[in-house]
Amino acid sequence: MIPARTVVPDVRSLVFRCLMLLPGAVMGLGLIVFSLGLVVFLAFRHNDGSVLGAGWTWSNFQTILTDPLYAQVALRSVMIAGTATAATVLAAYPVAYCIALRGGRWRSLLLFLVTLPFWTSYLLRVFAWKIVLAYNGVFNSVLVGSGILHAPSLAFLNTPAAVVVTLAHAYAPFAILPIYTALEGLPRSLLEAASDLGARPWTTFRRVVLPASVPGVLTASMVVFIPTLGDYVTPALVGGPRSIMIGSLIQMQFGRANDWPFGAALAVAVMLVVAGGMVLGRKLSVGRQG
Amino acid sequence: MTKKTFSKVLGAVAFSAFAAALTVSGAARAEDGKLTYFTWSGYERPEYDEVYLKSHPGTISASVFGDDDDAFTKLKAGFRPDIAHPCYDKIIRWKDAGLIEPIDTKRLSNWKNVFPSLKSLPALQAGDGKVWMVPWDWGNTSIIYRTDLLPNPEMSWNLLWDKQYAGRMATIDAVHDTPVVAALVAGVNPFDLSPSDMEKVAAKLREQRPLMASYTTDMTSIEQSLASGELVASMGWNEAVVALRKQGVPVAFMKPKEGMLTWACGFVMLKGTKNADLAYEFMNSRLDVSSGQHLIENDGYGASTSTAFAAVGPEKLKELELPSNPDDMFKTTVFTAPMKQADELAKMFEKIKAGG
Repeated sequence: MIPARTVVPDVRSLVFRCLMLLPGAVMGLGLIVFSLGLVVFLAFRHNDGSVLGAGWTWSNFQTILTDPLYAQVALRSVMIAGTATAATVLAAYPVAYCIALRGGRWRSLLLFLVTLPFWTSYLLRVFAWKIVLAYNGVFNSVLVGSGILHAPSLAFLNTPAAVVVTLAHAYAPFAILPIYTALEGLPRSLLEAASDLGARPWTTFRRVVLPASVPGVLTASMVVFIPTLGDYVTPALVGGPRSIMIGSLIQMQFGRANDWPFGAALAVAVMLVVAGGMVLGRKLSVGRQG
Repeated sequence: MTKKTFSKVLGAVAFSAFAAALTVSGAARAEDGKLTYFTWSGYERPEYDEVYLKSHPGTISASVFGDDDDAFTKLKAGFRPDIAHPCYDKIIRWKDAGLIEPIDTKRLSNWKNVFPSLKSLPALQAGDGKVWMVPWDWGNTSIIYRTDLLPNPEMSWNLLWDKQYAGRMATIDAVHDTPVVAALVAGVNPFDLSPSDMEKVAAKLREQRPLMASYTTDMTSIEQSLASGELVASMGWNEAVVALRKQGVPVAFMKPKEGMLTWACGFVMLKGTKNADLAYEFMNSRLDVSSGQHLIENDGYGASTSTAFAAVGPEKLKELELPSNPDDMFKTTVFTAPMKQADELAKMFEKIKAGG
């Protein structure tokens, strides 16, 4: 017979472990596995107006594949999100570089400042851009006031470019932090070695700093590309009809088009596109290492 | 922990997570004694509820939406207020979804003051003196234009298809407005469309898309853009005209030859509400003179009661371009009724906006 005192700690530790696992399991299963499962489930249903749809069907995916509109909007979304990602990373790189290599004792303060815009609501930041880009906004007023333009231009607001600018600003910290982390880990001795071997600053940057920061750049690109691809608030507020993205189309299905199964199918299709992007990104980084 | 116990624990957790998800909708139900009111943003202001709030101070909890189709989605997903505020054209959809229950007009002492043409709207009738919706507000949809930037336009909805003003016009992002107007311009009946009619409407909407600076339901952004001169014309509601005139912006509310749209909205009682008595009291208070008078004077919308119109007086009505007898006006405008092909129309509109 097993002595009682060895059983008690075992049960206790089991209970403790279960309790420790509980939040993670609830979050993981309830919020991720269950919700994703529900979306995938819904994607294969007929729309009869009810919450869970009726009967099984492929027709939602057939529509997505055969109607050129969805490919067109998906392509537009990839273009806008891709441009926004490129703009974000290009703007973020010098900032991260300066903080990591030239920040000195101000580093923590500078990083803290980078996160400052997060203290205001995202909507507020979008509206700020609306004010800057509007017909009688800051940008137009400067151009007209300085005589460059005779009349305010309509070319800034309600365009895909406005969406790119707004997204690039909003996602800058997400890009700065991973690039900073990659650069911060770069051993200073490598830079010294490069200069000892006679490399000029540009060569050092090109052959030492840049390759070392590629993982950070790729992470930054992922972190920016994935959420911007599905964004619908920004195009709705500053984009105009020419920048309706796939996120808006999904939202519309769950909203007034009242076709939840089709919305779910679109969401699954977007996830597949994102997964494709991830695989591509991973191939790129692995290929670089090998 | 062995693998077996782990998977048992996991299974139990998965089950409870599923059960929790199923009961969440139950938890979202309104609490007793406090009335939950789900309405268009701006319609929750306390001055509309003076009578009700006198006897039940601080007991209305309001939740707002920007479009009654989005509201429908939220209700479908399990949100259960006591009273909601959709428009007439949505009533059949809401009724068919089993969301609402009939309202007994005998319990509303102010019901007698509601304009006869609103009382007799066909889709409202639930039989036996009961209605699906108690009309409270009505208004028009037409083109608001800057009289200085666009002097003497042709009085027609065709203005919203005029290439001359490409990029300087906007329209309302709602099925019961823009597609209905497109049908009028295409010369077909918006409320019952044959497949070939549907194609004509689609063609009109496609023609319009490149000319629009935006599709929006946000009247404030339309007002701002009209005030700045970015837009010269936009589809809009009465309220925007009143607000712009107050700011001194020279605007007019067009009377198109094809007819303005008239819409009416009101209160529906959500099925199974625990606060039915309060809901009746609330609706009756909204049909009171003071509530309707606030609606007319502050927002320029029509109230549903003749008593409110009488209280405002002919001069103020004229200033707001509201008729002294709405029953006459309903006959000369296009009344936004339930659309037989609302779902198809909605899908088509969304596709065209996206470039399809």
